[in-house]
Amino acid sequence: MDSSSSTPDKIRLSVSNHQAHVWNVPDIARLRSEHRICGLLGGTLPHLAQQNVFLGVPLILMPEEVVLLVQNEVAVLVDDANAHDTPGPEEKQLWEDQRATMIQKQLVQKAKAKEDEGISPNNKSTSEAAIRKRQERELKKAAAAAAQKAKQESGDADLSVFNTEATSSGDPAVESGRETPSSKGPSQPYAITIPTSSNSVSWYHSDAHAFSTLDAARESGIWLYPSNEEERARCGVFRALWEKDYYLGNGIKFGGEYLVYPGDPLRYHSHFVATVHISPENPLRPMEIVAHGRLGTATKKAHLICTWDDKTSSVDILSIEWSGFG
Amino acid sequence: FPALASLAKTYPQAASSVFATYNDLLHAQRWEDLTVIDLPECKRGALRGCRPNTKDNLFVVPCSMSETLSTSWYVTHALKALDEPDGIYLAISTEDSSIVYYRISRGFAKPPL
Repeated sequence: MDSSSSTPDKIRLSVSNHQAHVWNVPDIARLRSEHRICGLLGGTLPHLAQQNVFLGVPLILMPEEVVLLVQNEVAVLVDDANAHDTPGPEEKQLWEDQRATMIQKQLVQKAKAKEDEGISPNNKSTSEAAIRKRQERELKKAAAAAAQKAKQESGDADLSVFNTEATSSGDPAVESGRETPSSKGPSQPYAITIPTSSNSVSWYHSDAHAFSTLDAARESGIWLYPSNEEERARCGVFRALWEKDYYLGNGIKFGGEYLVYPGDPLRYHSHFVATVHISPENPLRPMEIVAHGRLGTATKKAHLICTWDDKTSSVDILSIEWSGFG
Repeated sequence: FPALASLAKTYPQAASSVFATYNDLLHAQRWEDLTVIDLPECKRGALRGCRPNTKDNLFVVPCSMSETLSTSWYVTHALKALDEPDGIYLAISTEDSSIVYYRISRGFAKPPL
């Protein structure tokens, strides 16, 4: 391998049920900053699970984005399900050992943190004032119990059960000695972390199940897009707009297929809304022109009709704007 | 309307929308230097004129809301036949005589401010 050339690794797109996901955060950043592909985050954030304004990994890509990335040789398609092999007994043992170590580490850390705060493992404060107060309470209890016992002996014998308990806890010197650490056994709760990405799992082999061309992926059945004229038209239009240095997003909010941004969508509003026509002979009704044109003007955008010509594999772009009079 | 009359005979289907657009531009929009152009590729007449107090020649292609067009209709036929202007105005007329005008141009038009 040539060590002088530092071509970065191809980005892995985990394909599951014909949808492509990116689980690696640096890759998500690269897709956006180097390749103008934004995608949509679709995962729940564990610490903010009850809302969906802020979402986390995985990044979900449009099929047109996937086609562009694979054709540009920037990404490979990974058959995620099959990339997870069955772990052998040694791998399983290693996994168990690692998990046990993590749990032990947590318990030790917790015990240490409690000690530092001055709380014994039995959740009783070890400060001097607290100890003194506890001793006073115990003495009072013992005295009350002794008085009870004197009364009882002249009367009912059944209550002796309660008396023995009270007297046995009467010795203040023994009290503090009984607080022994209980870190053996699962009396303390611990957390199990489930890793987001499978890369740390030793039986996940993405390289052996990666496809670097669309044809190879189609043959294996994991990625079939584009499969008809309409899908080819969408890929063609997407690429034509992308090659003009625009950022593209989903256009449903403005009545089109794509929103066309002059820069990163976090910084700019889109300038155009694009609709795909699958052929130059595709019927276009004047009502559509009115609807697109008027909506575009009202939202400070211009509407683009992008027509794909399957015969010449080219895209023709027409803009529609309201005339301003009439 | 002598200019329109001959076109109405040649292209009867487009006659009503051409007539309505001509009248609207002349009287309501007050366009100046309004002339009629024969557009056989689109089977209708087109109009050329200037908006009031301007000097730029603008091209208007009338059609009816009930017609079905296609992008090749614009690109291959209309734009070519009119010698590739920056843009053409499509005048869409409806049965109640309303006319709406939309500008169609090649490439990316600057969005309104």
